[in-house]
Amino acid sequence: MHLKMFVLSGAALTLWLTPLSALDKKIGWHKAMQGVSLCAAIACAVKSGNIAYKLSQQGEIEAIKERAITADVIDEISTSAYVSQQQRQQEAELILASPDSDVEAGRKALEAMYTSDLQDCTSTPDSPDYPVYLEVCKSLEAGKSTTWIVENILKMGGRKFSEGKVKLQALISQFEGMEK
Amino acid sequence: MRAMYLVNYFTAGCIASSLLGWTASLHPMAFKAITFLVATVAVVWTLCWLLDFSISQLLKVSVSDLQAVLVSGLAMLLIGLGVFVCT
Repeated sequence: MHLKMFVLSGAALTLWLTPLSALDKKIGWHKAMQGVSLCAAIACAVKSGNIAYKLSQQGEIEAIKERAITADVIDEISTSAYVSQQQRQQEAELILASPDSDVEAGRKALEAMYTSDLQDCTSTPDSPDYPVYLEVCKSLEAGKSTTWIVENILKMGGRKFSEGKVKLQALISQFEGMEK
Repeated sequence: MRAMYLVNYFTAGCIASSLLGWTASLHPMAFKAITFLVATVAVVWTLCWLLDFSISQLLKVSVSDLQAVLVSGLAMLLIGLGVFVCT
């Protein structure tokens, strides 16, 4: 298709310029020849333009398809991450609701599950939250309170405090599991 | 590929202008007819250029698109006739 388009473009230019410049004017039929070649050149140029237009449309469709596939993959990943987080939260809530004797057994079971889950998880030490987690660890070692960490490291004081506390817990549970 | 099809249509326009020049060279009457046609196109082109905002609204295209079409049309005419006259 590309080859055909380029050949037709070249033919159009040749048929346009050659009879006008190279044809001997002493020849009786040179006018007729010029007219025929100009008509043929227009036909070639229009045909080539139509082919190029079709190819450009196809290229646009391919680009749209690619974008849709990428968006689909991103959506899949974020959905699976969200679902696994929800599951972990539910399991943690179940453990908190269960009697004290079961807590230790449940914790061990959860730890085992988290370790296997986190191996598949997309967040790695390269993730943007990891430096924040390291800072949180340092502050905890320095004996800073949770409130201080939420307000000064996560920058979620005031109305966002409860949200920040949840985020801190999520950060710790996410990266603690990975370090083990 | 978008540039390629625009270039091809532009070339087709240039060749059509050369064909007009060729038609004009066939007979004095044809020359007069083509001169009249080119003069009419020039008047229409100037009106379109001066009334670009109104015409773009009428044709439902952007002003820049209309101006691009006008400028490329003028370039096609000049190149086509120029090539024919010079050769």
